[in-house]
Amino acid sequence: MADKAVRKPRRKAAADVPRVDAQPAFILHQYAYRETSRLLDVFSRDLGRVMIVARGVQRPGSQLRGSLLAFQPLLLAWFGAGEVKTLHAAEWQGGLPQLTGLPLLCGFYLNELLMKLLPREDAYPALFGAYFAAIRQLGCSANERAAVEPVLRSFELTLLRALGYAPTLDRQAGGAPLQPGQRYSYDAGFGLVPARDGLPQFEVAVLQAISASCFDDDRVLGQAKLLMRLAFAPLLGDAPLHTRQLLIDLQTL
Amino acid sequence: MTVPSSLQQLIQALKVLPGVGPKSASRMAYHLLQRDQAGAANLAHAIEYAMATLSHCRHCNTFTEAEVCDICADDERSRRQLCVVEMPTDLLMIEQTLAYQGLYFVLMGRLSPLDGIGTKDIAFERLLERASDGEVEEVILATNFTVEGEATAHYLAETLRARGLKVSRIARGLPVGGELEHVDPSTLAQALVERRGL
Repeated sequence: MADKAVRKPRRKAAADVPRVDAQPAFILHQYAYRETSRLLDVFSRDLGRVMIVARGVQRPGSQLRGSLLAFQPLLLAWFGAGEVKTLHAAEWQGGLPQLTGLPLLCGFYLNELLMKLLPREDAYPALFGAYFAAIRQLGCSANERAAVEPVLRSFELTLLRALGYAPTLDRQAGGAPLQPGQRYSYDAGFGLVPARDGLPQFEVAVLQAISASCFDDDRVLGQAKLLMRLAFAPLLGDAPLHTRQLLIDLQTL
Repeated sequence: MTVPSSLQQLIQALKVLPGVGPKSASRMAYHLLQRDQAGAANLAHAIEYAMATLSHCRHCNTFTEAEVCDICADDERSRRQLCVVEMPTDLLMIEQTLAYQGLYFVLMGRLSPLDGIGTKDIAFERLLERASDGEVEEVILATNFTVEGEATAHYLAETLRARGLKVSRIARGLPVGGELEHVDPSTLAQALVERRGL
């Protein structure tokens, strides 16, 4: 008599594989992968940045290809436990025009910042909301600098705040209050210090406007751009931002 | 058993092909050596011959055996229009339509800031030179309708317009014979955004 029934080795059931359904997401970038697949770098609302492979989308007649667009809100479903997930379904949400012209290049800039700075699989729902809002505003923007710059500055500030690297703008580095009418310089990693020669100087009123994300004034915009560049420099390191270079090239035409 | 070094070298060499990893490369190598030695010799010869004879056309930058390709050398074609495409395969597709009588320029790539591909990595300077030859009146941008293709089109349009050239972009929208019921929603949405007056 068999004393024990031979137990079949437990097979990994489909239920064991983590699944995500109908997750709001944007594609930041995509790479060709194998013969007919694509690797997607995705920014999702509840799971942050995820790498997902979309199998077979390069095949002619693929239903998914028209949906996998950058700068378009999508609902993605995927599964997988490893670092790279497998795309199960993608639904195009619509409502945003496709970006063209200068707003498109600005969209690339936002994506480059996210790809360089956001860690994988860490959720940033508030930042996702800000990204969605920024893409929507870019979609409605005119093809000119004055229209897109406030969107960029505002998103940059939200990104820095989400990552915990936002400059403190309401007091000096040591904690002393800002004196109205004075000018201050920004020392990255330290904070605001009394104006120094050779460093960009910021007015208190402008710093307050930046802190409140009020970018409706040329003076504020100009100084905010400098401040953001100083704040991002230590995070980005020596690697140049390709999109920034492209925007600078276009400006010098 | 170790793999002989010449076989190892062949496998390594095959890995340069897109989509070919170590496994496919060794499968190809064994196939060539075991089953199709004549094919292998033919392949080696064809690669060597192509490398030795092909170069870029002086005018349009596509691959050609002569200094100037057949299309650029054709006197029947209009010299006033210049159609800019990303790859030689795109040029062939447009040629098959028989709908275009002008000349071409092949960028051999596209701008892709997120991959670090900038204006120096495509034939951007050569295009500017080609488009400002005095004969070209209109530049038709036929880069892909991907985000990278759109970005390339925008960049080229701004640069060429600054040089006083007329710039146009190929249209996008519903496919010919397309029914609204069966078209994908993103295409339909964009067709509405880019609708034109009649």
